[in-house]
Amino acid sequence: MSSIASVARSRAAATRRGELRSGLTYWLQSLAAMMRFDFGRMRQWLGMMIVIQTMMGAGMVIMYGFFYPHVTAARALYIATGSPTLALIPLGLVMLPGDINQQRMEGTFEYVWSLPAPRSAQAISTFLLYTLLALPGTALALLVATWRYGAQLSISPVLIPAALLCSLVAITVGYGLALAIRNPLVMNLISNALVFVVLLFSPIVFPASQLPAWLYDIHRVLPFYNMAVVMRAGLTSGIETQVGTSFIVLAAWTIAGCAMTAWVIGRRH
Amino acid sequence: MSDAALAAFIAPRTTVARGMRRWVRDYSSMLIWHLVSLRMWLVTLTVVQILSGVGFVLGIALFFTNIPTRAALFVSTGVPVINLLMVGFILGPQLVADQRSSGTYEYLRSVPVSRSVTAAAWYTVCLIGGVPAMIVSLVVAQLRYGLPLDVSPMIVPAVLMTSLAGTMLGYAIAHAIPSPMATRLITQLGVFVIFGFAPILFPLAQMPGWLGDVNWWFPFRHMAVVIRAALTSVPDSTVTQGYVVLAIWVIASAAAAGWALGHRR
Repeated sequence: MSSIASVARSRAAATRRGELRSGLTYWLQSLAAMMRFDFGRMRQWLGMMIVIQTMMGAGMVIMYGFFYPHVTAARALYIATGSPTLALIPLGLVMLPGDINQQRMEGTFEYVWSLPAPRSAQAISTFLLYTLLALPGTALALLVATWRYGAQLSISPVLIPAALLCSLVAITVGYGLALAIRNPLVMNLISNALVFVVLLFSPIVFPASQLPAWLYDIHRVLPFYNMAVVMRAGLTSGIETQVGTSFIVLAAWTIAGCAMTAWVIGRRH
Repeated sequence: MSDAALAAFIAPRTTVARGMRRWVRDYSSMLIWHLVSLRMWLVTLTVVQILSGVGFVLGIALFFTNIPTRAALFVSTGVPVINLLMVGFILGPQLVADQRSSGTYEYLRSVPVSRSVTAAAWYTVCLIGGVPAMIVSLVVAQLRYGLPLDVSPMIVPAVLMTSLAGTMLGYAIAHAIPSPMATRLITQLGVFVIFGFAPILFPLAQMPGWLGDVNWWFPFRHMAVVIRAALTSVPDSTVTQGYVVLAIWVIASAAAAGWALGHRR
């Protein structure tokens, strides 16, 4: 036992001196350094992020109401409970790929990969930062929705895993896509098309029964509708009953996104 | 040596072209320059414009169990306004912001053509990028919803004025605001405003009264009024007022852009 402890001590000392570039301590130090680096780099985009998040969440809550001649109680409940989902999506699927594009063009992307920090720490730093950035907009959207429509929500503990999983899905899939698709123009087109699909053609702020059957079938496999389902299950009681399937679909997308990320960052080029 | 002889010695030995002929020549070369340098961008843009216009026209039906004709009519006659605004008001300023970041902006300013020529050529590009998508959106809307459309000849001035006001406003944002990031922020906000916070895609009565009043001071509400009046036979008493407000916006934006482009730094 004592030999294990002494090995651990000498490894820790070597890590402190900067000689040993492996082990959990080194990984955690790298993560902290990468988070500082990412946050510092992102500060110039902070204004933009706040605008997009506020408008996509709180702004869309108000906007959707304008499109209806009468906002009935059922519509109001759907808009109110769909809005936090809407606020979670753009950061991962639009801002993150945009950021990676920008990094590729500036050469920062190659530079970060050349740093002596484990690439897994680099990726997880990005995940954490974007998750942190996504949550305030989500909360704001929910607040605005309850104020504007007086929606009666009953919040359950499911909301916490639901919100975390939704944000993770958006970020991992966005990150995986941005890494796998190298052409910035193509990526830009894809993320804009995704926003369009999410805002207009996804049953997030209206019931899925309003969709044609074939479109509904597509949405059962895509993440957006399932995100709305788990979030709505955390915010209301009795509307969503098939939550288990949605959680499984979302988990599968997260794993796929992580696998794509791991595959790309594990390769040399 | 007299002053005149000295001037002749220094000045390049060529006649300086002025007047209408020079203007037209510069205009056509600037237009060709824009079309050639943006050829890929314009093709992609037209496709995206058509897809998003058609997508909006079709997608709005999903919001309702049975879409009322009035809602379909407002969306279908509002989408053309958005198509016309997209290039001049949203993408144009972002293009200029990118040019500022990459240095092309300084180069373009050094080209010896007048400011009115540059603006006119850009306005033409905006029309080229907007009108085809507008027509396709309207045709699709008509096929999908069978709307009571009644296109009058007033559509020509309505389209020209709407696009001009949007383009000039975008022009002012692009050139009078020096920071590329601020330009991007404003246009990003603009996207949300034209889709949801201005009564373009839905009736004015469906937004709170105070927000409608705020919109009176901005051009978007009036653009929707003049376009809708030209596309339908629904009488609207505010059309003349709409043209006046749009004209004021055109003059104010052109003045702001002209001032920003005119002074030395």
